[in-house]
Amino acid sequence: VAGIELPHKQWPELIAALLSNVHQLPAPTRQATLETLGYVCEEVSPDVVDQDHVNKILTAVVQGMNSTEENNDVRLAAIRALYNALGFAQANFSNDMERDYIMRIVCETTLSPELKIRRAAFECLVAISSTYYEKLAPYIQDIFNITAKAVRGDEEPVALQAIEFWSSICDEEIDILEEYGGDFSGDSDVPCFYFIKQALPFLVPMLLETLLKQEEDQDQDEGAWNIAMAGGTCLGLVARTVGDDIVPLVMPFIQENITKPDWRQREAATYAFGSILEGPSPDKLVPLVNMALDFMLTALMKDPNNHVKDTTAWTLGRMFEFLHGSALDSPIITPKNIQQIITVLLQSMKDVPNVAEKACGALYFLAQGYEDAGSASSPLTPFFTEIVHALLTVTHREDAGESRLRTAAYEALNEVVRCSNDETAPMVVQLVPLIMTELHQTLENQSDERQNELQGLLCGCLQVIIQKLGSSELTKYHFMQYADQIMGLFLRVFASRSATAHEEAMLAIGALAYATGSDFAKYMTEFYKYLEMGLQNFEDYQVCAITVGVVGDVCRALEEKILPYCDGIMTQLLKDLSSNQLHRSVKPPIFSCFGDIALAIGENFEKYLLYAMPMLQSAAELSAHTAGADDDMTEYTNSLRNGILEAYSGIFQGFKGSPKTQLLMPYAPHVLQFLDSLYMEKDMDDVVTKTAIGVLGDLADTLGGNAGPLIQQSVSSKDFLKECLSSDDHLVKESAEWAKLAISRAISF
Amino acid sequence: MAPHDLRRPFKRPAISDQERRREQSLLRQAQSRRDAQRHARFLASTAFSLPSE
Repeated sequence: VAGIELPHKQWPELIAALLSNVHQLPAPTRQATLETLGYVCEEVSPDVVDQDHVNKILTAVVQGMNSTEENNDVRLAAIRALYNALGFAQANFSNDMERDYIMRIVCETTLSPELKIRRAAFECLVAISSTYYEKLAPYIQDIFNITAKAVRGDEEPVALQAIEFWSSICDEEIDILEEYGGDFSGDSDVPCFYFIKQALPFLVPMLLETLLKQEEDQDQDEGAWNIAMAGGTCLGLVARTVGDDIVPLVMPFIQENITKPDWRQREAATYAFGSILEGPSPDKLVPLVNMALDFMLTALMKDPNNHVKDTTAWTLGRMFEFLHGSALDSPIITPKNIQQIITVLLQSMKDVPNVAEKACGALYFLAQGYEDAGSASSPLTPFFTEIVHALLTVTHREDAGESRLRTAAYEALNEVVRCSNDETAPMVVQLVPLIMTELHQTLENQSDERQNELQGLLCGCLQVIIQKLGSSELTKYHFMQYADQIMGLFLRVFASRSATAHEEAMLAIGALAYATGSDFAKYMTEFYKYLEMGLQNFEDYQVCAITVGVVGDVCRALEEKILPYCDGIMTQLLKDLSSNQLHRSVKPPIFSCFGDIALAIGENFEKYLLYAMPMLQSAAELSAHTAGADDDMTEYTNSLRNGILEAYSGIFQGFKGSPKTQLLMPYAPHVLQFLDSLYMEKDMDDVVTKTAIGVLGDLADTLGGNAGPLIQQSVSSKDFLKECLSSDDHLVKESAEWAKLAISRAISF
Repeated sequence: MAPHDLRRPFKRPAISDQERRREQSLLRQAQSRRDAQRHARFLASTAFSLPSE
């Protein structure tokens, strides 16, 4: 109730009334009061509670947490309330004395004899680490001592929170350092305090100890999360935070443990190695990987323990993910070892499901490293058939449903297809009827979750194949013999009730439309109802978003042949835009889609102007200013602006040369005003800048001399254009050249 | 106010293949849109240059 009423200032006495409860009443009432305050803080936005009340809530909560409070339930309610109230405490955390006091009480509470209270106190520390990172310096040494003690000796739920504190600090520092952009010239609102770098000599040994606390069979349990897993994950984040500095601290642990008879030591050593492969420089890691590769391949084949094999295959995957590819100077995969690597990985795909899954994952990254190799001969070519055959065999394993094995096999197959070339394309063509048969079989079986998942995977695989074969005229020609049958299968997938299967089928149809071009018209009568269904799917907004993209594909494929379907499509798109239910991320692509439709049907867009233009106009007004917005909002606003501008661009270009161009004249002042206000706002990204200056050109091109005086009055046609003409971004420059040409023509009339 | 679930992705790639498929479709669509626009503008530019030739 408070969540509804407080924002409307309808229950002003609530907080004072609750606070009057917290002193002398019986413990259960104090507990209930603190819980209620906690819930209120969880539900209500900080800006609707005034600072005086915030101060009083925090005082009451911190008093409840104090060790003088004898009732554990009250203490627990108090610490949980603090967790929820942290977002309210900006002012209090800026005051040294108040912050010191809160931090002292939280740290003291981590020592409570009660497990639940200790865990809740560490949860608070985790939340403080992300909300008030920049205030932590005076406390970090004490927090290290407290967390180290908990990680080493406390019960698992508490130890996990203590590890999470350091993972969370890593998240913060990775974000800050990414904003610096590596050269410290970028600007981050928060400075990096390098807590991880400073704690490194103590933090790394503590995390390495946790790696030895594995549970038996943890790899078979999807929901498992324990100290060893949390510790290794944190070690990986530390490596990403500090880079090279972690390597000398971890190597002795690996060397000491990797050959030990106890599987836990071998696994921990391998896990440590795999964890630090992202972050340090290739210069530092490649020599180590070259030394370890042979050992790892042998371990994957011969280690008697499945857990060790699982981690070994995962580590090989990480080596290929981060240290193999055309961008790297010294290859870890060479003509000498590639045969052995592939033999071992294919052999491992016959191992127990969790190991086989990681072997598929390793093959995925091995293939990915060759993706940029172009159409020339690839080192994978000699093994292509063997790899495809092995992966298809995995998908048919009885136990492929365990450990995501089937998914991993299809994903690896997709990647192998993506990196195929002229030599291996015929083998990809041969794959088409095989995958179609598989999809056909799932459609004949009774529809259930397993079949739907499989349909999703098979549609995904066909999408990748269509995209690959469609990219060259020769392979496209060979593929086209299957187009009708494939489309028939995709349409049958829409009979299932699975959003994922629909999404995958829709993506695949988009790729097919792109590959088929105007011939796609023959599928439209049947396909249209599913297109409309997709556009109506507010609930699974991803399906809706993908369908919007596919409308664009179909427009470009069919051009004016899309016209008979446009009334229905436009009606649905306009409904989508007006809906409060639909996820906001779908709205920018809908605007872009207006542009695709307009460009396809030209002056026939006339009848939609009356509906589309006011929508565009009001969205433009909303998106013109971003003052005070956070990063997410600014990013969203820019994507919205881009969508709106793409719509204008398509509409102007679509009407070009038509006798009806004058219908657009009434909208020109607003479009120019929008461009001017975007320019004045100075917060467009390069993509928006490029689209915006292009719209100026499209407007001038289509409206010509009639718009000349209007254009000359706009700031965009002068200062904005001038800036864009000297832009470093060649796409911005190219659009600006276009605008300059179109404007000079319009003005000379 | 139940305890926070702190599980992080374990031995899983940062981006799933499904996300990659989605991203690649979006990239292809954006590229096709750019090509269509560029084509329309190119036709217009060629038309401009004709009278002056």
